[in-house]
Amino acid sequence: MSITVEVKVYRTPITIELKEREEIIECGESTFVMKYPIISGEDMKNIASLVKFNRSAYLASMPIAQIVEKIDLAVQKWLNPDYALRRLAEKLVPVVTGYDEEMVRLEVKRYIRTFRKKELLRFLDEEFDQPAMLDEFRPRKTGGMSRAFGPESIFHVFSGNVPGVQIWSLIMGLLVKSAAIGKTSMSEPLLPVLFAQSLAEVDERLAETIAILPWKGGTNELEEPAIEESEVVIVYGSQDTVEKVKEKVPNGKRVLSYGHKISFAMVGREALTPDHYYESIHKLTEDISVYDQQSCLTPQSVYVEEGGAISPKQFAQMLAAEMERYHKKKPRAKLSDEEAMSIQRFRNQYQLEALNNRPISVYFSSMDTSWTVIFHEEAGFAGTPLNRSIHVFSTESLEDAAAAIKPYQQFLQSCGLAVSPNRLFILADLLGSYGVNRISTIGEMNRAKPGWHHDGGFNLLDLVRIMDIERNVEQELERFDPDVE
Amino acid sequence: MNLKDKVVLITGASRGIGAAIARKFASEGSFVIINYLSNKHLAEDIAADIETRGGQAAAIQADVTDFEQVNEMMAHIIENFGTIDVVVNNALSHYTFNPRTRKTAWEMEWDDYNQQWEGNVHGAYNICRAAMPFMKEQMYGRIINIVSNLIDFPVIPYHDYSTAKMALLGFTRNLAKELGAFGITVNAVSPGLTYPTDSSAETKDDVRESIIHLTPMRRLASPEDIAGSVLFFASDLSAFITGQCLHVDGGLVMK
Repeated sequence: MSITVEVKVYRTPITIELKEREEIIECGESTFVMKYPIISGEDMKNIASLVKFNRSAYLASMPIAQIVEKIDLAVQKWLNPDYALRRLAEKLVPVVTGYDEEMVRLEVKRYIRTFRKKELLRFLDEEFDQPAMLDEFRPRKTGGMSRAFGPESIFHVFSGNVPGVQIWSLIMGLLVKSAAIGKTSMSEPLLPVLFAQSLAEVDERLAETIAILPWKGGTNELEEPAIEESEVVIVYGSQDTVEKVKEKVPNGKRVLSYGHKISFAMVGREALTPDHYYESIHKLTEDISVYDQQSCLTPQSVYVEEGGAISPKQFAQMLAAEMERYHKKKPRAKLSDEEAMSIQRFRNQYQLEALNNRPISVYFSSMDTSWTVIFHEEAGFAGTPLNRSIHVFSTESLEDAAAAIKPYQQFLQSCGLAVSPNRLFILADLLGSYGVNRISTIGEMNRAKPGWHHDGGFNLLDLVRIMDIERNVEQELERFDPDVE
Repeated sequence: MNLKDKVVLITGASRGIGAAIARKFASEGSFVIINYLSNKHLAEDIAADIETRGGQAAAIQADVTDFEQVNEMMAHIIENFGTIDVVVNNALSHYTFNPRTRKTAWEMEWDDYNQQWEGNVHGAYNICRAAMPFMKEQMYGRIINIVSNLIDFPVIPYHDYSTAKMALLGFTRNLAKELGAFGITVNAVSPGLTYPTDSSAETKDDVRESIIHLTPMRRLASPEDIAGSVLFFASDLSAFITGQCLHVDGGLVMK
C-alpha cells in the first residue's frame, strides 16, 4: 500500500530547469522522493535576473493592498487543516527536523495565523504612516511628498532551526515589492518552498518573483552572484554564518543581520504564590521546550526570586519534573553525537563544580540527554548548549539580579517576565538600558507578536529607501504649467 | 507476577491502549491473543513484533458485538491454546473524542446511546458469556473491563459514551458478585484521557492542557500506564480484589 510522493525542495520561476538529485525519506506507508537542485553559478545568475525581471513586470507596480490580499489568500489556505500542502508539511517537517510531530503541527499553525490580513495591515501601519507610500508619492504632514521604494531584489539567507520563520522574511520582501532569492538551510528547506507554492496557487505571476534554493552555506560560486544581483542581503543564523556572509558583501550594499541572541526569564515572588507557582513553572517549561530551544526567543537562564511559596531551589526541582513530563508529552528531537556530547560536557562541568562545594545543583534526565536543569545559589548569567537545558539562578531581588546581564548587551534579546504590575516598568527600564529589546509574558516567549521590533529594529523601514519631494518643489513647478495664470 | 503462560484475550488490541496491554502481558510471558475488528495489518504487526522479542502472540479477527463471531473466536482459542485465563474487554464502538464537534444533550438521539451500549456492554457481555464456562470449569479466571474516568468526572460530556461506560461498570460489579464463588474476579480499570491514541487525536491541545491542569500528576495517561493496572488485576497480587474500579488518571478522580 506504499505511496510514493515527489517533493521539490526548491522553487524557481517555471522557465528555469535545474538538474536534480534525489533523497528518499520513508515515512509510515509513504515514500517521499525529495528533489534537491544541482545549481551552477550560471544558473544562479539566470535565476536572479529572471526574478528581478518578473518583479519589474508585475510586483513592482502592484498596489500594496492587493499584495496584502494575495498573501492573505495563501495564508487562508494554510489555516485549513485539510489543505494538502499543510498536511504534507505536518508529515514531512517532523521527519526532516526530528521535532515532535504534535509540536510542529501546533506551532506551524499558530505561526501562520500571525500573517492574516489584519496582522499584515498591522505590520504595515506599525512602520508607515501611510502604507500607500509604497505605491505612490503621498503628502507628508510637514509638507512635501514622499514615497518608499523597496529593493529590486533581496537575498535572504535563512536559518534552519525553527520551521516556518523563513516565511516571515519572504512576506516582508513581498510587502516592499522585492524579488526574492532565498537560500534555505539543508536542515529545514521545506516550508518556504511550500508557502511559495501556495502563493503560486493564488497568483502564479507573483510567485514567479521568488526563488528558493537549498545549498551548503559558504558555496562561493552561488553566494557571490546571489549577493551581486541583490540590492539588500538579509542573513539569519549563528554569529559565524552572519560574519561569513557579511564578509562577502561589498561596502555600500545593505546587509540586515539577525545573528546569535540570548533570551532569559525572570520570575518574581508574586508569581510564586501557592495559586501561581505551578502555572509559572508549566509555562516556563513550554518556553524552554518548544522547538527544543533552537529559537533565539527561548530562555537559556531564568532568575527566580526568593520569598515566594516555593524557594528558587524547589522551583528548579519542580521545573526538572515538569521538563520530564514535557519530554514524555512531546519528546525532544534525537541529537547528533556532537550535540549530545556538548550536553554531557555541560552536565559534567557543573557536577564538578558542585563537587568542589560551589552552591550548584544539577538535575537531569538520567537515561538520556533530553533535559538538564542547573540550579545556582548565586546570581550570574550563562548560555546553555540548548536542546532543553536551562540555568536557574536564585536571587533576593530581580532588580539586583539584572546587573548580571549587563556584560552581554550585544547578545541580549527577549525577557519573559512574571512580576506584579507595579514592577513592570521599573524592570523594563532597567532591562532596556542593558540591551534587552523585548519583554513577553512567560509561556509566550517563542511567539513574538505581529509588528514587533525584531532584535530592536524595524522590519520594513529598514528595507526601503524613502524618497522625498521637498515642499517647495511642487509649488515651484506649478509655475511651469503652460496653462498657469 | 505469575502471568507466565496464561492465555490472555484482549479485545480491540490492534492499537492504542489495547496494543499496550497486549505488549505488556507478552513481556510477562503470557500467551496473548490480539483481537481486532478491521486493522488486520496492525494486529498482525503487533503479534509479529511480540514474537520477535521472544513472546507468544496470535491475532484473531472478530466483531465482539456479534455473538456468533465471538463464539467462533473462543472455540478457536480453546482448540489451539487449551484454555482462557484472562479476558480484557477493551474494544469500543468507533468514537471520536472531539470536544468541538460532540453532540450536545439536546442533539443526542437514542440511537447514539444504543450504539455505544452495543459496542461497550454488548461486546463485553458476549466475551464474558463465551469465556465463563471455561473459567468456571477451571475455577479460575480474571475479567477486566476498561471503563473511563469520564463516568465519575465528565470533563467533557460525551453523553452516549460515558453512559455506556457507566453501564459497563454496573455489569462489572454484578458479574463480580455472581462469579466470585467460582474463583473468578471481575474488575474495571478507569483511564483518564490517554495520549497518544487514535481516539484521542482530535482532543485538541487546549482541552488536554486543561485536564493536565486539574491532574495532580500533571500529565495525561499513556497507554503503558493503563496496561500496568490491567496486569495487576490479572495477576495473583490482586487475588482477593473483585468488583472494584481502579482509576488510572494521575489522581484526577479521587474516591
